[in-house]
Amino acid sequence: MSLDFLTLGSDAGVVAKSPLAAGTAAAGATYAVRDGWEVATRFAEPRVEALACRERVGWADVSHLRKLELQGTPEQLVAAKPDDGLWLQVTPERALLIDSAGPRESAAHVLDVTSQLGALRIAGPLARELFARFCALDLRPGSTPPGAFRPGSVARTPGYLLCEAPDRYLVLFGAAYGAYVWEVVSDAGLHLGGRPVGVDALVAQEAASHA
Amino acid sequence: MRRLPPQPGERIDRSAPLSFTFDGDAIEAFAGDTIASALLASGRSVLSRSFKYHRPRGELCGCGQCASSLVTVDGAPGVRACGRPVTAGMVVEHQNAWPSLRFDAMRATDKLGGVGGTFLQVGFYYKTFIRPRRMWPVYERVLRHAAGLGKLPNRQEQRAWRTEYRRRHCDVLVIGGGIAGLTAAVHAAQLGADVVLCDDDVEPGGVQLAEGGHERMRELAARARTAGVEILSGASALGYFDGLVPVWQGDTLHQVRARRHVAATGAIEQPLVFPDNDLPGVMLAGGARRLAALYALAPGASAVVASVDERGVEAALTLHAAGVRVAAVADLRRDAADCPAAGRLAEAGIPLHAETTVVRAEGRRGVERAVLARVDRTGLALPDSAQQLECDLLAVSGGAVPASSLLLQAGGRSRYDVATGRFLPGELPEGVHAAGAVAGHDELGAAELSGELAGIEAALALGFGGEAVRRELAERRARLEARPLTPCAAPPAHARDGRRGGKAFVDLDEDVTVKDVEQAVAEGYDSIELSKRYTTATMGPSQGRFSQLPAVRALAAATGMPVGEIGLTTARPPWTTVALGVLAGRPFEPAKRSSIHARHRALGATVKWAGDWRRAYDYGDAAAEALAVQTTVGLIDVSTLGKLIVRGPDAGELLDRLYPNTMSSIKPGRIRYGVLLSDAGRITDDGTVCRLDDETFYVTTTSSGAAAVEQWFSWWLADWDLDAHLTDVTQGVSALNLAGPEARALLGRLTELDLSNEAFPYLDAQHTTVAGIPCLLLRIGFVGEVGYEIHCASAHGERLWDALAAEGARPFGLEPQRILRLQKQHILVGQDTDSESTPYGAALSWIVKLEKPQQFIGRWALEHAAQRTAATALVGFTVPSGRVPTEGAVVLHDGKPAGQVTSARRSPKLNQAIGMAWVPAAQAVDDARIHISDVGSTFEARVTTKPFYDPEGAVLRS
Repeated sequence: MSLDFLTLGSDAGVVAKSPLAAGTAAAGATYAVRDGWEVATRFAEPRVEALACRERVGWADVSHLRKLELQGTPEQLVAAKPDDGLWLQVTPERALLIDSAGPRESAAHVLDVTSQLGALRIAGPLARELFARFCALDLRPGSTPPGAFRPGSVARTPGYLLCEAPDRYLVLFGAAYGAYVWEVVSDAGLHLGGRPVGVDALVAQEAASHA
Repeated sequence: MRRLPPQPGERIDRSAPLSFTFDGDAIEAFAGDTIASALLASGRSVLSRSFKYHRPRGELCGCGQCASSLVTVDGAPGVRACGRPVTAGMVVEHQNAWPSLRFDAMRATDKLGGVGGTFLQVGFYYKTFIRPRRMWPVYERVLRHAAGLGKLPNRQEQRAWRTEYRRRHCDVLVIGGGIAGLTAAVHAAQLGADVVLCDDDVEPGGVQLAEGGHERMRELAARARTAGVEILSGASALGYFDGLVPVWQGDTLHQVRARRHVAATGAIEQPLVFPDNDLPGVMLAGGARRLAALYALAPGASAVVASVDERGVEAALTLHAAGVRVAAVADLRRDAADCPAAGRLAEAGIPLHAETTVVRAEGRRGVERAVLARVDRTGLALPDSAQQLECDLLAVSGGAVPASSLLLQAGGRSRYDVATGRFLPGELPEGVHAAGAVAGHDELGAAELSGELAGIEAALALGFGGEAVRRELAERRARLEARPLTPCAAPPAHARDGRRGGKAFVDLDEDVTVKDVEQAVAEGYDSIELSKRYTTATMGPSQGRFSQLPAVRALAAATGMPVGEIGLTTARPPWTTVALGVLAGRPFEPAKRSSIHARHRALGATVKWAGDWRRAYDYGDAAAEALAVQTTVGLIDVSTLGKLIVRGPDAGELLDRLYPNTMSSIKPGRIRYGVLLSDAGRITDDGTVCRLDDETFYVTTTSSGAAAVEQWFSWWLADWDLDAHLTDVTQGVSALNLAGPEARALLGRLTELDLSNEAFPYLDAQHTTVAGIPCLLLRIGFVGEVGYEIHCASAHGERLWDALAAEGARPFGLEPQRILRLQKQHILVGQDTDSESTPYGAALSWIVKLEKPQQFIGRWALEHAAQRTAATALVGFTVPSGRVPTEGAVVLHDGKPAGQVTSARRSPKLNQAIGMAWVPAAQAVDDARIHISDVGSTFEARVTTKPFYDPEGAVLRS
């Protein structure tokens, strides 16, 4: 007996589906299978999506990012912290590890919670303004600078928010709320002149911001 | 009224004419006009009808604060015409008048009441429509028809418009955009604070915009923007909620959370109270001045101004400069002739009457004459002092009341200042500053200085600015304190000439008169809070802005108490009336949906709320779905079940302390049923515990109890400091229950696992793949058939469903599941149990292991309960007549209520009515007869203590 039934991977042979899939499909997403997941890669021409991220706001379903939960003593967690991925310290005894090959060997308990959490990446100059429509967290740069992690209420549901870079955020929420969160974010985002974008647009945006 | 030549600082754009309609008539206007200014410019003087007496009302405040110009705009009622800018094509209609604004049949209420009449006297709704009692349905219908201000469109789509919330954090929120507010904002921002300023008006600047300071104010607003201040115009602060200030701007509700607040809300000019003080043409002096300055409107051809302080005198001079003939200024101050502006009045040829006030307005459809007189302390005109003056505008100024509602909501106190005749804010709560007229600093220089102080103090308190700035504070404070507050004369509660006739209103919103207040006092409502509730004074749409002080003065006069002792009523939000739609925000409800939800929709499921989940209730035929499970194989989405992973060396110990039975003894791969109890031994939840390995348990809970159970576990885990960890995986795991005689065969086609009863018996758990998907299989059967709960990562849930459905499993919903579980008498916690149910009463005594060594939650209570026989017991029943009782129907014993039905259905399999009920313990035996009272009739039922279907569980275990 094991917890293998919680683990998703490309070797499972079955394509995993995002909890936001109904929303992305209705918004006209084009999909590709990546690492065992059906990923929304684009909704419009790349230049249109890039423009949205550059001048307004774009949001992309990144629920496929691998998410691990680690629990243990603070020392065990420190020992488990890898060099790659996003390390989100929820409490001294609990952390989330996002988009990592895996933690270092440690006595900490590790659980794959990829399916448990939906994820959106929101980027663009109006990203904060978009969050202001459904989230009460203080995201002003002085309060939430790049790298800051904020557990809190997202669209009236429990969630986590990470400021990855100026005007670029990763937000995590319960998977069962996926359709609801997509609806809320899209409603507010479209009203602000933004649009849903594929994961590739965000990669391009990230590259441009580093250039 | 007529348009004036271009005025310096006017807000209208004469190069941009536009038109809209009012009651179907085309109205010409300019961009920048308000609805009221455009209507007044078109020659209309009556804008609305009053709430109770349907008296014609004209403009009062000219600034979007009063309720005298409420209209319906594009179907939305309750819009203040004097605050809403016009837009081309806007459709404006009058409200609260029938058949027309000009002739309103409901005006009869005014005539019926008359002066001193009893028909609509104060508290009439407690008196007039009481007898005969049988007539109440008629009264109610009439009253409901007559009550209310405006009507909403009938259809929902006509009532809906986009509204939304916007959260804004800032260092300093400045409320009010006058000289004090803007100055405070500029200074705080220049020191580095993140500042938001909100202001009611369409542009910041406050009263100075209409009082000659428009250029300076617009320059100051530009400085504020340059300093980084976010200015929200047309944005009213609705209240103060522990630091959160909702600010309503158009269709957006800004939820502003600031670390410091500066209230610069100004002061509100008050009307005077005299007979017929509501005639169209009676206007606040500041309102008349505003119409002239901002909208280039001559508010009358000939004006009389009545005032108690300098602002009325200044208004007279402004009107004169704009080309309005000012017949006289009546100034109640004894030393009015010595006031700074007296000389300018003389130069303009405007007669000034000191120690004089207005004691009556006269006219048929509007003001035609004003009667001025010197009055005694009660307000009665002194003999031979009255004089009539022809006029069509009576501009009044009864002093100003600091707009302190938000300060008071924040926890501030007010005190009555006898010298200036008004209530001023006293001690302020931490983090809140006051500046300008709200703090008593009406004079321009003082207001500006107080704004500087408030802005700097707020910024310093947050760590902005340095020692040099701090040192300057003391000097500024000393300069401010050296400035005297502006004195004014206290007007009488009720100025009058002694003639009969004419209502003197203390509250124009609610049509409350001086006589009403006096009557309330006579009936014993002699405190301000009681009087408010009985008369409804200050409870109208303007939230007491123009009636607070008149009501207090009237009560003081009626009781003989000093105004200061009367005090103010409690300040409550909202400070400005706001559309409910704005408070509602976007119409999205947080809903959990399983990963298979789209499939349920595609299958035509009836989807309903189940806790915070959206669930498939049935797929069109609940009975057929239930039968299918018992004859072939059914498939239900049970992903909503709570699911917890408990891991660690002490995981078993933790569960032993939480459940009344022993969980640490479960062998890996085995499952045990459990109930959770409160400290009092009452059932709070139930579910299964599956041991995956030595240190890992997989716990399921009810769908609605998942969050509470997770919190319960977490709380005790922290308290007991055990070496175990908990993870709620409810949303990450899809669960499907495949059940029925053909379940094993169907599942066997999708997995290589040996599903034989020998290899995979009841209450066993196995890890395997189903259709290639990694799954955890639990051999349990809530619905009473051979069944498998199949758990997998929710990202694979939909594909697992598809695979099972493709093999022929028929979907069934929540309702057939309830029928099936009832046949087995499997309880639903929260439906078949309540907050008083123990395992002993609920036929679950077998689960309580008092002999186990561990303490567990509820043990003490159960040990005591075990020593007594439960008074009632949960049993099954059948109804020979076939009637299915309502859930909640009463179980009778000796004709008296003795229990209740908790569940009841018709079983398609058994073809009979079955149910569960709490009955007296003595009747909890097979075949006992009980009587059920339901919807007016009583019928017999027979007790069944064993499951109705497969009582020995042979099917389940096969």
